[in-house]
Amino acid sequence: MWKKIKDWIEVRLGLDELVRTQLREYRVPKNVNIFYTLGFVAVVAYMIQALTGFFLLVYYVPHSEHAFKSVQDIMTKVPYGWLFRQMHVVGGNLMVIVLILHLLAVFFMGSYKKPRELTWVSGGLMLATVFLFCLTGFLLPWSQLGYWATTIVTSMPAAFPYVGDFVANLLRGGDHVSGPTLNRFFALHIALLPPILVALMGFHLFLIRRIGISSSPFGESGEESGPWVGYRHEQYHGQPFYPHFFLKEVFMCMVYLAVMFFFITFMPTFFAPEDANIQADPLRTPAHIRPEWYFLAPYQMLKLIPNKFLGISVQVIFVAVFLLWPFIDTREKKNILKRPFLLTVILCGLTLWAALTFWGRY
Amino acid sequence: MRYILSLLIVLTLAPAAMAGYRETFQREFLSKPWAGGPIVEKSACIECHTSDIMKPAFRTIPDEWQGSWHALNEVSCHDCHGGDPKDTSLAMSHVRGFVGKPKYDGVPGYCGKCHIGIMKTYLESGHGKTLKAAKKGPNCVTCHGSHGIQRATIDIINEQSCSRCHSYERAKVMKQALFLTEKKIGEIRSSLKALKNEGIYTAEDEKAVFSTEAEFRTLFHTIDVNLVKDRTDEFTRKLDNIEKTIQSTFSELKVRKNFSAFLTLVFAGLAVVVALLTATYKE
Repeated sequence: MWKKIKDWIEVRLGLDELVRTQLREYRVPKNVNIFYTLGFVAVVAYMIQALTGFFLLVYYVPHSEHAFKSVQDIMTKVPYGWLFRQMHVVGGNLMVIVLILHLLAVFFMGSYKKPRELTWVSGGLMLATVFLFCLTGFLLPWSQLGYWATTIVTSMPAAFPYVGDFVANLLRGGDHVSGPTLNRFFALHIALLPPILVALMGFHLFLIRRIGISSSPFGESGEESGPWVGYRHEQYHGQPFYPHFFLKEVFMCMVYLAVMFFFITFMPTFFAPEDANIQADPLRTPAHIRPEWYFLAPYQMLKLIPNKFLGISVQVIFVAVFLLWPFIDTREKKNILKRPFLLTVILCGLTLWAALTFWGRY
Repeated sequence: MRYILSLLIVLTLAPAAMAGYRETFQREFLSKPWAGGPIVEKSACIECHTSDIMKPAFRTIPDEWQGSWHALNEVSCHDCHGGDPKDTSLAMSHVRGFVGKPKYDGVPGYCGKCHIGIMKTYLESGHGKTLKAAKKGPNCVTCHGSHGIQRATIDIINEQSCSRCHSYERAKVMKQALFLTEKKIGEIRSSLKALKNEGIYTAEDEKAVFSTEAEFRTLFHTIDVNLVKDRTDEFTRKLDNIEKTIQSTFSELKVRKNFSAFLTLVFAGLAVVVALLTATYKE
């Protein structure tokens, strides 16, 4: 019976051939390291977010008067609601960490260079989309933490001349964060951002499979065959994608899940401190409120630069340079260790980012 | 590198040329507590009372208030004394509701604007009746203080304080009658804090404790020991119910922790299995 069903599907879809050509015969460079698996971990992390988000959506009420109560009901009354919510909260933060690590790995291995510029740009846009996911999702529980963090972040665009107030008001649906802001953020979080992210993810993965995975400049190098003058699909003689590389990816996913449940068990309030358990009160500003950790560096920078427009412009320039980096750094040399100036600049930049984040936190 | 430099110069010059464009944003953004600005809003009362024109005895009032339970709960000068803290010229105008310092026997009515239940029982008590009849005797500030007021505890009833007016014996009996209930309230508060630290929403239970405690505090302002003893059972029952809810939350929390710890182990174990499996696939 089972064989009949299998044959029926095989005749129509040709699964055996698909598995053979796309998994077993598809080979990745010999020198791929564990950092190459982070993209796959990010995809799995997003799937977990989508799944847990769906369960939360069943009970969540997107209204400023009911949102907080509905989230508390999810935490206390809905069977295993606490688990799905904690997975969503912790998962959201871990996903950002995985994406940042993935980005750094791609950068340090020079994988953004020709012909993979579009892969980098689509990855950068995905990171921006994930930040938008985080920003919009942070407000939804309608807690003091989310409310005031959103107030800070939505104030930032007001530093732009002419369009600043318009952008800030468009985001908030008024002069300050209120019910309409919640409705807008909810709509963005569940209806607009998911298809955008899935489309970008699809394009990103398509490019990776179409051009071929980039080989690392470290270790056994030199597998890529010559300069890119026309289109070609990079063929490697390294290891098969399945099971060799796939198992590495599965290993990292298990580590990701173990870390996630470690946080849920032993540090349940690490990403949701006390203010996350207090209902939003627009008339009561908490003394030590701050944005989420990944927005702390730009927030601190904005506080330090005396002119706000200059401050926010520097950040826009930074984002533009980041997104267009493959078109700025067009040298073919991939090994960053042989480019001490660039390495120093990047390490200084990362140290500055960490210092600003730490400064903004304390 | 020249591309980066030229891009940075071009994109930085334009905003630099427009420096100072958004003063409003600076004012609105940086003046807020969440942007590192001052937490206490500008108050005419504080400005004047901390300035050199004020009598030295009155200059310490803002400091006393800053460390008080009232300050912690955002009860400010004008909430008791009236007036307009945002307008220096009319801060002490009767038109703006300024009432200044109350007379000695007017203190209960002053505090009773907020502490309504306690004022009522106090006025019916021996303390209140004495004040009403003789215009002297203990009023609210005699035991609780004024500007530097702290969260009330059972320790306010002590020999040093009570024996200013009468012997400590009766007060001691009252303190003993209150002791167990007060202790229970303290324990429940600690448990709620522990739950809060675990990320559990405790506001509903906190409200229940607060209202029970407020009712209990109202009761003992009658300074009627027999009444306190008679009604202690009623309060104990209420507190027991709250405690039961808290205990069941702790049990639930334990189940949750065990479950997620189990999942941590499952995935850590799977990671080890996959790592071992990977090792068998060496080419």
